Amino acid sequence: MQLAMQNVSKRYGGGNWALRNFTLNLGPGVLGLLGPNGAGKTTLMSILATITRATEGTVLWNGVDLASSPDQLRTTLGYLPQDFGVYPNLNSVEFLEYLAAVKGLNAAISRRRIDELLNLVNLTDVRKRPLGAFSGGMKQRVGIAQALLNDPQLLIVDEPTAGLDPEERVRFRNLLSELSGERIVILSTHIVSDVEATATDIALISQGTLIAHASPEELLREVEGKVWEWILPSAELNTARQQYLISNTARRSDGVHARVLGNTPPAGAAPVTPNLEDAYLYCLSQHRSGAAASVTTEVLA
Amino acid sequence: MNSAHVLYHMVRADFLERVRRYSFLVTLAGALLIAYGVATEKIWIVVGNGYRGVYNSAWIGALMAICCSTFLSLAGFYIVKNSVQRDVDTRVGQILAATAMRKDFYAIAKTISNFAVLACMVVILMLSAVIMQLMRAESHSFSLWHLWAPFIFLSLPTMLLTAGLALLFEMIPGLRGGFGNVVYFFLWTAGLGLGATGADDPSGMQLLYHSSRETLQAIDPTSPQNFHFSLTIGGEQAVRTFVWDGIHWTWPVLLMRLLWISLGFLIALAASLFFHRFDPARSWRRKPPVAGKQTSTSIVVAGPASSAVIVPAVHLTPMQGRGGSFAFGRLVVSELKLMLNGLRWWWYAVAAGIVMGEAVSPAAAVRSGFLVAAWIWPLLIWSQMGCREQRHSTTALLFSSERSISRQFPAVWTAGVLVAFSMGSGFAVRLLLSGDLHSFAAWLAGAAFIPSLALALGVSSGSSRAFEALYTVWWYMGPAHQMPGLDFMGATPASSSPTAYAITACALLALSYFGRRSRMAYV
Repeated sequence: MQLAMQNVSKRYGGGNWALRNFTLNLGPGVLGLLGPNGAGKTTLMSILATITRATEGTVLWNGVDLASSPDQLRTTLGYLPQDFGVYPNLNSVEFLEYLAAVKGLNAAISRRRIDELLNLVNLTDVRKRPLGAFSGGMKQRVGIAQALLNDPQLLIVDEPTAGLDPEERVRFRNLLSELSGERIVILSTHIVSDVEATATDIALISQGTLIAHASPEELLREVEGKVWEWILPSAELNTARQQYLISNTARRSDGVHARVLGNTPPAGAAPVTPNLEDAYLYCLSQHRSGAAASVTTEVLA
Repeated sequence: MNSAHVLYHMVRADFLERVRRYSFLVTLAGALLIAYGVATEKIWIVVGNGYRGVYNSAWIGALMAICCSTFLSLAGFYIVKNSVQRDVDTRVGQILAATAMRKDFYAIAKTISNFAVLACMVVILMLSAVIMQLMRAESHSFSLWHLWAPFIFLSLPTMLLTAGLALLFEMIPGLRGGFGNVVYFFLWTAGLGLGATGADDPSGMQLLYHSSRETLQAIDPTSPQNFHFSLTIGGEQAVRTFVWDGIHWTWPVLLMRLLWISLGFLIALAASLFFHRFDPARSWRRKPPVAGKQTSTSIVVAGPASSAVIVPAVHLTPMQGRGGSFAFGRLVVSELKLMLNGLRWWWYAVAAGIVMGEAVSPAAAVRSGFLVAAWIWPLLIWSQMGCREQRHSTTALLFSSERSISRQFPAVWTAGVLVAFSMGSGFAVRLLLSGDLHSFAAWLAGAAFIPSLALALGVSSGSSRAFEALYTVWWYMGPAHQMPGLDFMGATPASSSPTAYAITACALLALSYFGRRSRMAYV
């Protein structure tokens, strides 16, 4: 099972490149796709989900070009778009039955599958309630269930935990971890902790280009010795922000505890263990400041 | 910031948002089509005993203004009846609702914005009128006042009234959807009929009627005894001409027109009474999210500070195959369920009554009554075809499915045909029993034509309104009034051509197929 993207580019009307020369090879596991707003994550996912066509480059699913045979992938694709709707007058069972029919699943199999999925996403008790009466989080769970209807080998989920309460987020993370052994899962999100909990690989994307593809451990190693905790008076915080890359702050009785990223620590700062958010921000800042080339080379190597 | 300033910016933003959409170009093309129809003498007015006015500035201006008032007050309504819905869809409405904006202010701004869109079309026709007079060159006396005054005093007030009504229909929950579109069509028909009673009508046709009658009386004294006035498309041709100097814009006439303008604003204010500031709890047929009981039993709170949540490990059973080959019938049933979902018991009761009526009533009553009703009753079911995915944002879910164009698309069409078959089944059985195969062929072609038209318009416009508007007019002129060529259901055997409608159905189906295909990255 392999998904290969080779020099994939996408240009929208007006000449805007949403994606430039994106090359990535994926095997089974969970890929966390991280990047700022407008980085090209959703465009990449739309291309992989056969919703939009790449302007340049090729996408190969098990060696077969998506452009020549999209149904090869669609048969085994589960897709949860960032923005999707439901038919408000149907209940969750009817809606899933409809999509199962569209996906070509047999009636008996789909009935069993729907029962299992509704239980999995914790909607069994409200299975007969019209979807129009569902909250945003409940609709999102219906979306997750529909993506898993055909037991996909490639699961693409765009901001899947948006609108979910903490319990459902944990449940979904567990589900992704459970699924990852047998298939390729691509998870796009802004929530770094979701990626931290589930991803076996991380791809950092900015301005339509891949700036890093590595395991979480490799990314964390990149920032080892570059994260510091600095306690400073709150009045000096604004000045400090202009001088250093600060990833987080917390106000305590002894002052503001600032988490500083950089090769040189401020005077009096103590080294701390880096987390994935630090690594993400560090890579992004390096890329933006023009030093991305070396970081990408190191990480990709 | 004063009120006028706020109003200006609300109207401006709404107007700019609309004119930058592709649909606005289609709207302008529609206006140009009317101008073309008048210029090429496909649309004309005949008065008295076969008279038409000499094409001077007054006659051209009045003719085009009346066309504008009548046709655009129908088509324009369907074009602008989406301004509030757009605020809902774009979620801008929620931002507006959180401001100090007054309800009446919002209603007036939306009405003016609706009016601005319609006025753009009037302006296009005003410019076309100049070109038309120069092209026809039947009269060399050119007067911009005579040419444009009918647009200003007849068309623009009508457009304002249409703009207000569009907003009112959008605000009233029961009239917001397809049912309101049908109601407006009959309201529009009644408005035209108002002119026939001699009262001042919104389009101002009565003014032209009286003025042309007075002028003709001086030229041909026999004319007023048998005075005839018709705005016609491809109907009776005029054989004589007379010189007409235009409507005299006296104060009483202008005051009457002012009354229609005031009515437009009053309707807008009435609409504001139904405006609930995008409150989701007050939305039409939308229930608020139910808090619901806690469905999980697995939460373990470790302590008040950490609030740890322990969720048991989840497991999804791997699937062993897909369970055989693809079942088209099951997908058709699913599509049918989707179409019929949400219909109330009384809808089925009326449908059953119609089908029974077709089967047991006298043949004449069936042709002019039950069969005609049978194929308008499911209007709102058919109008969802081809645009349901866009309306409910499920396009990505369907387009990423395997062979959706070759599976789901034919299933939608088949389900639509089955609805037509079911509704007309009583009549079909009678035709077969009586051996009237020509009428049965017409019935079959009609049953295929309706969903094909719905699918084509739904796919191309992305909205249900195009079908609701066009089909209602078609149904009214064709099956209901047996206009030659437009009767697609064989209500009168002489007025229908099964072959032509079967071919049209195939062409529409092909159009919708390629329309859907063009929106997919891969087929």
